[in-house]
Amino acid sequence: MADFLSAYSIQTWLESCPQGYLEGTLYGHAPGEEEIPLLRENSVLHEDAIRTTVQLVVGERCALAASSGLINAAPDEASRRFLATQTLDEARHVEIFTQRLYDLGIQKADLESTIKHHANPNLVKFAEILLEKVDRKQFVAGVVGQNIVLEGMAFTVFEMMHALNAETNPKFAHTLSGTIADERRHVGFGENRIGSLIKEHPEERPAIERMQRDMSYFMLATFADAFRDTRAFDELTRIGQERSHSRYQGADLGVLEPEEMESLLADTVLKEFKLRLGRIGIEYQTPPRP
Amino acid sequence: MPAGSPDIHDLEPQAFLEEVHSFEFWFQAVEGYLSGTTWGHRPDVSEQPLPDDERERLITVFCNYCVGETAALEGASGLIAIAPNHLAKVFLSTQVADEGRHLEVFYRRMRDLRVVDPELEVERRASRSLQLFRRRLLELVAGRDWEAAIFAQNVILESLEFAVFHDHARTADPVTGDVLRRVIKDERRHIGFGENELGRRLANAPHIRARIGQIKKELDRLVLDALEETARHLALARSDQDRLGRAYLESVERLGFGP
Repeated sequence: MADFLSAYSIQTWLESCPQGYLEGTLYGHAPGEEEIPLLRENSVLHEDAIRTTVQLVVGERCALAASSGLINAAPDEASRRFLATQTLDEARHVEIFTQRLYDLGIQKADLESTIKHHANPNLVKFAEILLEKVDRKQFVAGVVGQNIVLEGMAFTVFEMMHALNAETNPKFAHTLSGTIADERRHVGFGENRIGSLIKEHPEERPAIERMQRDMSYFMLATFADAFRDTRAFDELTRIGQERSHSRYQGADLGVLEPEEMESLLADTVLKEFKLRLGRIGIEYQTPPRP
Repeated sequence: MPAGSPDIHDLEPQAFLEEVHSFEFWFQAVEGYLSGTTWGHRPDVSEQPLPDDERERLITVFCNYCVGETAALEGASGLIAIAPNHLAKVFLSTQVADEGRHLEVFYRRMRDLRVVDPELEVERRASRSLQLFRRRLLELVAGRDWEAAIFAQNVILESLEFAVFHDHARTADPVTGDVLRRVIKDERRHIGFGENELGRRLANAPHIRARIGQIKKELDRLVLDALEETARHLALARSDQDRLGRAYLESVERLGFGP
């Protein structure tokens, strides 16, 4: 275990993250990059960008609360130190997505009310399930919820968003690429560390499986709301703006209907959950479809 | 802050806080003194062999440093949950990573000093007063007492560490000295946060001062006991030991919390 955890040391983190892929960035992107004018000029697309970014802030605030809360529940020093780096990663994500809201024109005094207004209630419930485990200092459940379920979801969502924005909004795409690199590390820790702990505590399996099913349900409900309520696709068609034909999971994102995109995202996340949970000895529980 | 921006000290108070509590500020700050280091020191600083008795004493000192840093890591991470705003949460997250780094480089230093299992060694050798301090700090955090916990963590504990590390770095072997001098730079930032956060709260609610005074009285005893123990392991003369105690009390007093 000690050897594996040395790959998650603060020394490694310093070399790979602040002194690696974040070097020379400002709020996660290259200095001088700006949001595209269309997002500020078109009220429907502007509103959609704010609403989407608020969900990212809500998710990252949950991840920050969870990773910092898990430090005091960690069974060994090396795990605590990894979680210390994860805490700072999550705080950075909160900061850069909050900064994006400011870049989109939200006033600092209106930040909390904007978040409250746009936060998806299903995402809030998703977060509450995880934070309840963290509050109870249930380390194994907390890490599965945080580093497999939440981070697994974030990783896949960020990848799809990155594909959607790579050609059309380089500033946001660059912001996302740093977070994707972070999430990859977090998911790796979850899989590696938790597998051995699950073997030591098989009695925790049923509660963890229930948690995964419940969190998955609220995640799917969040996706459903996001894709079914968006007016951005119709607005792009209305103004004659062609969507980016970037590819994600073999599909052309420029031609998919919102419902098809929702299915593609949900299926990709659930497939990843199944794979990762299997690796740590947890049986994936299929959630009901909202 | 982007290059070419105005001097940070010219910013309005709220903008100043937003700047200094940010990940970006932390990122720029640590880049300056951690870039190119390995396990907290420059790789070209050479190890100076220590006599066995001195090495043993240094290991005990590091065991106590690790208890302090563990308390700081646990305290800072617990404080995130009760921080009153997202700026404070982000700052405390940078502090969590700093404390985790300190713990890591101190454990590493113990391995350099031929300790096979540093965690076990810390359990065996750590000062009882420091352990009591750690327990009390975590009680304040668990009790969600923001002012008292920030005082215990970012004023008392950080001032203690600052005074001890500063003194130790003057006489330490080259590697230990280099490690400590970089840790001290972090502690300065943490003390600055504590001072600023409490200063503003005390200005708006002076009645908090009496409660903080009570906590100081309680914690001072544990801190001074721990200082005495550490000074003994560092083989300091009585006069140096007293000087260290005064340095701690003065640094807390400078923050407005006198006897």
